Amino acid sequence: MTTALATSGFDWVCQLVRRESAIVLAPGKEYLVEARLMPLARQLGLPGVAELVERVRARPEPALVRSIVEALTTNETSWFRDGDPFTALTGTVVPALQAARRPGEPISIWSAACSSGQEAYTIAMLLADSLPNATSRVRITATDLSRAMVDRTRAGRFSQLEVNRGLPAPMLVRHFSRVGAEWEISPALRQMVTASELNLAGPLPRLGPFDVVYLRNVLIYFDPPTKREVLRKVRQVMRPDGWLFLGAAETTLGVDDSWERVPCGRGSAYRPMKGK
Amino acid sequence: MRALVIDDSRAMRRIVASILEGFGYETRPAGHGREALDVLEEGWVPDLACIDWNMPVMDGLQFVSAVRANPAWRQVTLMMVTTESEHGQIVKALAAGAHEYVIKPFTADAIADKLSLLGLMPAASSPGVPA
Amino acid sequence: MSAPITALIDGETVTAVAGEVWSALVGEEELLLPRAVPVDGPSSWVTVTGPWDGVVVLTCAASGTADLARSVLQLDDDEQPTAEDVDDVLRELANILGGNVKSLLPGPSALGLPETGPAPLRAEDEDTCRVSASWRGHDLAITIQGASEAPATTTTEVPK
Repeated sequence: MTTALATSGFDWVCQLVRRESAIVLAPGKEYLVEARLMPLARQLGLPGVAELVERVRARPEPALVRSIVEALTTNETSWFRDGDPFTALTGTVVPALQAARRPGEPISIWSAACSSGQEAYTIAMLLADSLPNATSRVRITATDLSRAMVDRTRAGRFSQLEVNRGLPAPMLVRHFSRVGAEWEISPALRQMVTASELNLAGPLPRLGPFDVVYLRNVLIYFDPPTKREVLRKVRQVMRPDGWLFLGAAETTLGVDDSWERVPCGRGSAYRPMKGK
Repeated sequence: MRALVIDDSRAMRRIVASILEGFGYETRPAGHGREALDVLEEGWVPDLACIDWNMPVMDGLQFVSAVRANPAWRQVTLMMVTTESEHGQIVKALAAGAHEYVIKPFTADAIADKLSLLGLMPAASSPGVPA
Repeated sequence: MSAPITALIDGETVTAVAGEVWSALVGEEELLLPRAVPVDGPSSWVTVTGPWDGVVVLTCAASGTADLARSVLQLDDDEQPTAEDVDDVLRELANILGGNVKSLLPGPSALGLPETGPAPLRAEDEDTCRVSASWRGHDLAITIQGASEAPATTTTEVPK
């Protein structure tokens, strides 16, 4: 038996989504909230959406809050989402790394909230197209809180609606093949990506060291002390001359002063400050 | 910015046009490739053409080839918007000269993403500049 | 020996395709609910020709066609779509469903231009796959008719 979502629960979810994403859920969309949150409730072993809302209201864990907001706001993650961190990768970061590393020395990249894998595979495609030996030289670690998202990243399969979202057609035909109604990333690129579950708010397992970290649109869900803690842990798994990319609305400034903001492409990147 | 919306379905023309108009585009419809060429020949050369594949009289692929064959129309960005979705069909359209490819069904967000990729997304606040 | 066509086109895949079409075109919160009833009403269809010949048919209960057109065209609730609009929307939905079904087949195939009217019944064909659903309480069916065997994915015999 599942319990229907009471009006107060619905209002609470609306306020949460509005606060976190500025997206307004119109009244009368209770069924939409139910349909979108039901899988999350089931995943947590809860009988229904009402129980899920009750639990998160009593104890708002950032990870769960984020999952709820995501379930209600994002349909598909875009490829090349906010393109700047990707053009910066091929335009600035990779040339700098090539100059600083021995030829053929492995390059390690972390996609730290990989969702269904679009970011990790965007990086893989860009490097495969621009760096000789990328498929053997580049290792991409993709992590996400959600096991479902990690499984999806591992599978490297995307629906028609997903490949429609900002994936350049020449890249689609170069790196994907059709499998039934879906598109599958080529085995060579899939081998560049290792996906696993990871909670950024908890202790990190042995990782890295990374040359580049993409930690985009994650910090916004944490309170200031957690943000600082996450940034500190990220710095520990980065190489001293590494590059960190945050979401367009995120910064280390005023949170953790051990990073230097540098212009990178049309946007900014953050680099560990020397001596910190 | 101007866009020519080429589709034999009035519903689809209306959907695509209303998405583009939402981004500040001025649009004109055409029911098939020949009708679209007439618009170009008349001198209304758009920044973007959204092109269905399967249409009567002249299909989208023939239209793409015709536009690519005329240097005067080099500035037109050609984006297929079609239900044709096999790997080989996309390759064929790109080889004929299409720049981008949107598979039906699509959402307004998908069109927005492609316009951003193509550098054809007008800045939200900038008023349309008469050409 | 060739496999049945249902190895390529099955109810689950067609349901997934229809779900994507509905969520993108008809409106994201308008869910298609599975329903097992025969549907009587206007149809639209496209033919698929190539290694496998068939037809993809969309049938919508007469009560739902105006509502469907209104949703796709984003008309106001009190705006009445013209008969031409309704036909056009049904044709375009069949076109998109057909294109997506075609992409499940191996080898190059061609899609015909969509038509509307009473559903074409091809005497020699069985329903390969039939998905019925309810949308806002109106019954819908998507039927794939055609040869029951899947085309071979590779040709092993080379004619001399």
